Amino acid sequence: MKTVREKIRRLCRGSVIGQIAVYAVLILISYQFLYPILRMISLAMMSEKDIMNPSVTWIPKGWTFNNIRIAVQTLDLKKTLTGSLWFSSLLAVCQTFVSALTGFAFARFEFPGKRFWFVMVLLSFIIPTPVVVIPRLIIFTGIQEAPWGAQMIGTPIPQMLMTLFGQGVYSAVLILISYNFTRMIPRSLDEAAAIDGANSFQIFVHIILRLSVSTILVIFLFSFVWNWNESYLTFTFLRGRIPLLPQRLGMFDNLFASYGQGGGSAQSPEFRINEAYKMAGTLVAILPLLVMYLFVQRQFIKGIENAGITGE
Amino acid sequence: MSGKSNGKAIGRRQAVTGYLFMLPWITGFLIFTAIPFAATIYLSFFEVRQSILGYELNFAGTANYLLALFRNIEFMPALISFLVMELTYMPTIVILSFILALLLNRPMKLRSVFRILFFLPVIVMSGPVMSQIMDSGAAAVTGLENLFVFTVIENYSPPLAEALAYLFENFSMVLWFTGIPIILFINGLQKINGSIVEAATIDSATSWQILWKITIPILRPIFLVIAIFTAVQLSLYSTNRVLSMIQEAIYDTVGGFGLASAYAWIYSLAVLAFIGVAFLLLREPKETPVKIQKRLERKWAGR
Repeated sequence: MKTVREKIRRLCRGSVIGQIAVYAVLILISYQFLYPILRMISLAMMSEKDIMNPSVTWIPKGWTFNNIRIAVQTLDLKKTLTGSLWFSSLLAVCQTFVSALTGFAFARFEFPGKRFWFVMVLLSFIIPTPVVVIPRLIIFTGIQEAPWGAQMIGTPIPQMLMTLFGQGVYSAVLILISYNFTRMIPRSLDEAAAIDGANSFQIFVHIILRLSVSTILVIFLFSFVWNWNESYLTFTFLRGRIPLLPQRLGMFDNLFASYGQGGGSAQSPEFRINEAYKMAGTLVAILPLLVMYLFVQRQFIKGIENAGITGE
Repeated sequence: MSGKSNGKAIGRRQAVTGYLFMLPWITGFLIFTAIPFAATIYLSFFEVRQSILGYELNFAGTANYLLALFRNIEFMPALISFLVMELTYMPTIVILSFILALLLNRPMKLRSVFRILFFLPVIVMSGPVMSQIMDSGAAAVTGLENLFVFTVIENYSPPLAEALAYLFENFSMVLWFTGIPIILFINGLQKINGSIVEAATIDSATSWQILWKITIPILRPIFLVIAIFTAVQLSLYSTNRVLSMIQEAIYDTVGGFGLASAYAWIYSLAVLAFIGVAFLLLREPKETPVKIQKRLERKWAGR
């Protein structure tokens, strides 16, 4: 038994067969990884006839961009794209700022209770969001109904405040990234600046932030993507007041139905929801992120690699 | 001024400035996480009514819990299906990402291309996107039922076959959760000191032995981190019924916040229990990867 295994191993090690086997497995898995996206593209291009036709699996017979066109209209792309862009950017700026600040505090200062607060940062990651969302809602409706209050629910203010105070989406991960990158900046630079009379805030702004532009970009990108894709809190606090792309996609089926009834009554049989329309909508919704990823994939992977999330 | 008191003053200034920079996070943590966490537990024992004057609390004892656990016919099935999902997905994701990381952690062509592909889902994964994809059946591995191996398993043990079918029904989605874990594992693998592996090879250890005796023990803490990360991700991203039930209960005037709190609290307990089990299974008390590596280095060097 053991000798057989040994033989197989020797055969696999460094040999051509082993290499081919590894490639085969990786390509198979990649295919499975990309399967939903490939399927999405294929289905989005199909006409209604192709969907019904069992002999058409991958390559549509009647190519059409009609699905995409209708999806763009249904999603109200121009509005939702700008909405999502500025909403996610706003939250990402807040989150980047607080992550840099907190990471700097952990990396550079010795204060009593530091370990405790570090554990709390990790704990804030583990605590499930549903368990804190109700009191948060009570806080903001409370502010809204106070005599001095202003409109809160339905505006980005609640999420902005939560994010600005370090309780945004996956904030703990971003703080860890910032902490680990800040630790890599030599302390002697701080000390030199301190001797020249700089205070801690000046050191933070003029040295740490200056030197960690690439880190800040990484944190911003992650924060942007996570805020873009977050739907639970956004649904609770924004209630659809700002048109956002993923939220719109969530309501795609319903929107589609009403669009068909209201829009062209003459062509209403065309407006029956099917996989082609759904996948066209999904494709349009993820396309902005895909394009962005094409340009900055290196930052994303580097960011996670050097994050030190694994605690070394 | 003596040197000692000077040092003390510097220490105090360090502490004050440190807290100053921590202030936003600590404030936010208290207001938006710690206090709400406790408040949810408190609220779950009350009947909460919204009136013009604000919220009216009437103590309800365990009524909300009884309602959630026994009288509501939807909550328990939703919770159980969530638990089944975590139980099948979490180990699969951890093990799969480890295997993929092992395959990718060798000199080969197209390595960066594979890494970029495997990381891609992290960017596009969101609740609405996932539910649309699952809805359209674009994530399933089809034709599994016809596979010979599957029929054998089904004859041998129907529950196992059922679990497998469940897993493969949305297999691409399962894979999509491995994006960040793969990168973390590769990162960990690259930090393993080559000399230990070399020493073991000289002692005629096979690569199978090296995997189990060196690689996995060193990466154990990373396994823990990834298990926790995956559990959290699954609990938030999944298109599970429990989350939407909590949402609905929030807006429902009958049950209201009290019932919603009970739901949320039961759900969170389930998630935290999962994380706790992962922690107990995978923890290595007070040993960081570096320390484990040092221990193993000593062990192999002593031979």
